[in-house]
Amino acid sequence: MTDKPIEIFTPPNTLKAKVGGGSGGKPTLDMSAIKRAEQALETLKSEFGDWIAADVQMLLSSRDAFIAEPTAERQGDLYRASHDLRGQARTFEFPLVERVAASLCRLLDAPTAVKALPLVDAHVGAIRVIVRDNIKDRMNATASTLAKELETRVTEFLTQT
Amino acid sequence: MSAYKFDRIKVLIVDDNLHMRKMLATIVQAFGVTSIYEAPNGVQAWDQLRKNNPDIIFLDWMMPGMTGLEFTRMVRTSPDCPNPYVSIIMVTGYTQLEHVHLARDAGVTEFLAKPISANTVLARVTAVIENPRAFVRTPDYFGPCRRRRHDENYEGPERRGTGTPKGRKDQSAQTENRGAP
Repeated sequence: MTDKPIEIFTPPNTLKAKVGGGSGGKPTLDMSAIKRAEQALETLKSEFGDWIAADVQMLLSSRDAFIAEPTAERQGDLYRASHDLRGQARTFEFPLVERVAASLCRLLDAPTAVKALPLVDAHVGAIRVIVRDNIKDRMNATASTLAKELETRVTEFLTQT
Repeated sequence: MSAYKFDRIKVLIVDDNLHMRKMLATIVQAFGVTSIYEAPNGVQAWDQLRKNNPDIIFLDWMMPGMTGLEFTRMVRTSPDCPNPYVSIIMVTGYTQLEHVHLARDAGVTEFLAKPISANTVLARVTAVIENPRAFVRTPDYFGPCRRRRHDENYEGPERRGTGTPKGRKDQSAQTENRGAP
């Protein structure tokens, strides 16, 4: 075994020096700051419909590009578009889009996803329909059944490959 | 608790998704941050970093070209970086433990899972202010100490070196030798 030098040090806390304040002990959250931020986010809500529509459009064009030219790079582009929806759809009040996008990410994580283009397409189609029909209820019977079916198909595909 | 004076700090938001940048900018602006810079990719983020020297970076993991992990490694190791100790908060939809470990190993300071909220953003900002991480330099790694917390009651073997863990205080410029793997 070779001895390798390890240096551990504490840089000056310039951030704390700048912002000051704080609890001086266990950190507590500034509730007034949170309230201001929540109010600001509330005003953004009117834009969420346009935002998710733009994200879905990006997903559709990434899907088209991947199907036309199923390379690893195009698969990566589609994964990113799906990953964005997975991360933001709940904020945009579309929890089932988050669920289907998560399933699509799981599928696209596999290098063999190129062998499952119809399943990729089914996910993208489901997301498009959920947004088009403005389905914001996580318990919507048809959409949640569809999401479950897609998740099952992905599991089956990943087991077989 | 007195309020933080957020108008004194600079924040850089790096995300290829315009909507996520706008949401994060809206939140930190509401906290009182006035110097907010944005970049849609790692290359532009690097330019912003060198130009504006931010105090906190919110960084997306998945970006075309340079990923958030690659950007973090560059911040920590490049001689051209104006502040290799800058706080980096990785914002991502990845929540599995393996991804947390990857982010930690790249030198990320804190981890913020999507979907974000005002609460979670302020919690992470407060964490980087109140609980700055010690830094470690080894032949293979430079960045925040990957041990999240220092346990004063830990009595097990000191795997990182030969010193005794109990009662170890500020480790400024301390040099240790690697012991057991």
